[in-house]
Amino acid sequence: MGMQEIKRKFVVPGDRITEGNVRPSMNVIKLGNAIIATRIGIAEAGRDGIKVIPLSGVYIPRVNDIVIGKITDHSSLSWEVDINSCFSGHLPAQDVFGRDFSPARDDMGRQLAIGDLITARIIVFDRTRDPMLTIQDKDLGKIPRGEFLKISATRVPRLIGKRGSMIQTIEQATQTRVLIGQNGIVVVTGRNPEGIKLAVRAIRMVEEEAHTSNLTQRVKVLLNVPDTITTTPQPTEGGTSVTQIEKGQKVEELQSNIQDVEEEIEEELEKGEKL
Amino acid sequence: MTQTRNLIDENGRRTDGRTTDELREIKITVGVVKNADGSAFIEFGKNKIVAAVYGPREVHPKHMALPDRCVLRCRYHMSPFSTDTRKNPAPSRREIEISKVMREALEPALMLEDYPRAAIDVFVEVLQADGGSRCAGITAASIALADAGINMRDIVASCAAGKVDEKIVLDINDTEDKEGGADMPVAYMPHLEQVTLLQLDGILNHEQFNECVDKAIKGCEIVYEIQRQALMQKYFGNETELKEEQ
Amino acid sequence: MSSSKRSTIIVEHLRRQQMWDAISKGKRLDGRNLDDLRPLEIELDIIKKANGSAKVKLGNSEVIAGVKIETGEPFEGLENKGALILSAEVLPTASPYIEPGPPDEETIELARVVDRGIRESEMIDLDKLVLVPGKIVYTIFVDCSIINADGNLFDATSYAAVSALASSKVPIFEMQDDKVVHTGNNQDPPITTIPISITAIRIGEAVILDPTSEEEACMNARITITTNSNGDYTAIQKGSTGAFTIEQIKKAAETARIKGEEVRAKLKELTKDG
Repeated sequence: MGMQEIKRKFVVPGDRITEGNVRPSMNVIKLGNAIIATRIGIAEAGRDGIKVIPLSGVYIPRVNDIVIGKITDHSSLSWEVDINSCFSGHLPAQDVFGRDFSPARDDMGRQLAIGDLITARIIVFDRTRDPMLTIQDKDLGKIPRGEFLKISATRVPRLIGKRGSMIQTIEQATQTRVLIGQNGIVVVTGRNPEGIKLAVRAIRMVEEEAHTSNLTQRVKVLLNVPDTITTTPQPTEGGTSVTQIEKGQKVEELQSNIQDVEEEIEEELEKGEKL
Repeated sequence: MTQTRNLIDENGRRTDGRTTDELREIKITVGVVKNADGSAFIEFGKNKIVAAVYGPREVHPKHMALPDRCVLRCRYHMSPFSTDTRKNPAPSRREIEISKVMREALEPALMLEDYPRAAIDVFVEVLQADGGSRCAGITAASIALADAGINMRDIVASCAAGKVDEKIVLDINDTEDKEGGADMPVAYMPHLEQVTLLQLDGILNHEQFNECVDKAIKGCEIVYEIQRQALMQKYFGNETELKEEQ
Repeated sequence: MSSSKRSTIIVEHLRRQQMWDAISKGKRLDGRNLDDLRPLEIELDIIKKANGSAKVKLGNSEVIAGVKIETGEPFEGLENKGALILSAEVLPTASPYIEPGPPDEETIELARVVDRGIRESEMIDLDKLVLVPGKIVYTIFVDCSIINADGNLFDATSYAAVSALASSKVPIFEMQDDKVVHTGNNQDPPITTIPISITAIRIGEAVILDPTSEEEACMNARITITTNSNGDYTAIQKGSTGAFTIEQIKKAAETARIKGEEVRAKLKELTKDG
């Protein structure tokens, strides 16, 4: 069974995707000779093997992810952060106040109050403990203003798009900046309230139709962007969402670029074989 | 349970007009409870049941968390207006037992080791009961779990078979449950071909038992097709694959 | 014993700020005016096994109420009246913040406030529901299951209970040889009035109607006011840990009468009763 036949097939848990000498990747298991889907989503074949791109599911933290979290509590040593997941994040006081942090002298509530939103990076997470966060890098920290929305974390890659193309299309057409956390929290800022509203509508459209064909076209129609214009990543005033989506994502993009090139080569080879 | 009257007529029709091998009508809607991570509403004959899943989520109280896998909690409950006689809202012993067998029917399909120190909560509420509500509840719960994006090895389908007028019939209704000779609810993972729930209430000889099991499994396979269709419909409409490069 | 709890829903600072900004301009985050109710959907007779039932959607809050009518002993001190028993359960399906278990003080208050609104208005003429005076009366159970919680469960539950009651069919019982027997016939319930509750909350200096759960998480105080078909007040409950000015209470009461009539008209049209 060729890789082509399972490309982008819609699956539900238990579905047999394919059989044979293939490697199981994300959201599948191998049972005997068969690769079985374990989530509702889109089956795909890639360099790593067969995987399913999930269309539903709670956000599970990963080290190096950029997330947008909400301060929900603090002890004398750290803030508790709701990162829209099954685990609460912790932001150590030292991360904000520095090494010589003293609970007697440094008032945690004044730095970050309950309800505040922060952009943070997950620096530690494993099966034995809750994720630990940092806000020390560039572009991380408290989010002072903007329109807040929550989308399913599974739709974040589609919202970002290949090399950031989808989100930049939305940003440029609506004159907004969109902060996206891998955990599905999104904050839209801009000077024009109409632009913000339109950006929110576009984001909701991408969330709802992430798995449909011609989505990019329909988003462009919504935003009144001519289809012939393709968005190439370029710096906008104040930094693009690409720079905000940090290093981890960039690595992912590079890998995805390599994957694309390799897939192209594979396709060419297969065509060659058929001849 | 010894029968007192005939429940199948001379034409082979049961009290609700079905033949011995017919399932009641099943309708499933996915994603009906807005706040839940996953949910489904099922109409299985006259049964009306809603299932909602929250999870994976934090365990409260924290000391109940397991270090290497997820905690699965299931609640089967009947609303007071769901039965012929009004039922007291407090959980009955029957509901507590069904909550347990329901959890044990669903657990084999879930990859709980993927979510250590978290919890998955499954809530099944029977709004109208008409025989086979635990089967319908498990069927809806499976879909709600898939809708919530929990990693699952397979979908669990559930159906009952039973003995009525000394015949083995599929999917017994409320009257047949109360007056018939045997009731056997079964839950089954159709791809892995494994049984996750089996109960018997009544008297079956060796042949009848084998026939009953086979019939219930067939019923589960039919139920599974309806479950799969409901999920595909909700997520993908009529499509089977993503057509073009986006 | 009732004790302070930590808030279950922590509203994001950005959302809270947006909410205050919008309210100061007379709008809410979902675009409604301060006085607008969310879309109200009522579906009757969805539980065929019950004597009456209704599913209500008020915005995203969803409640199903079922009426079961049986016979039993009268309440002590009310020997010549039918018995009305109302209960409500916020199902654990309704929100991530609900723990299964015996009803907590919020749920008990909810059930009792909804019950009071119906009972004090004498919506059902219980005098007409006696079988054997002093011994056997009709017992009307109204049970409400809250399926999805998104604010203002008081009104959503009340509308479900009232709709279910107003559209129910009362089985006619009679005594045969000292035994209660169902004659096989039904009758319309003896309805005297349609009680409608309207809930308002205070946020800052503004008073807004029919709050979402997010708005409730930002509220200072809440008041639920029930009126009958004459526009008289039959039940009121102030809730939450803040306070109202006297002016705000009087205005809320007036609004409850007017909005109550709007909702009553919709209910009447549906159930063709009252």
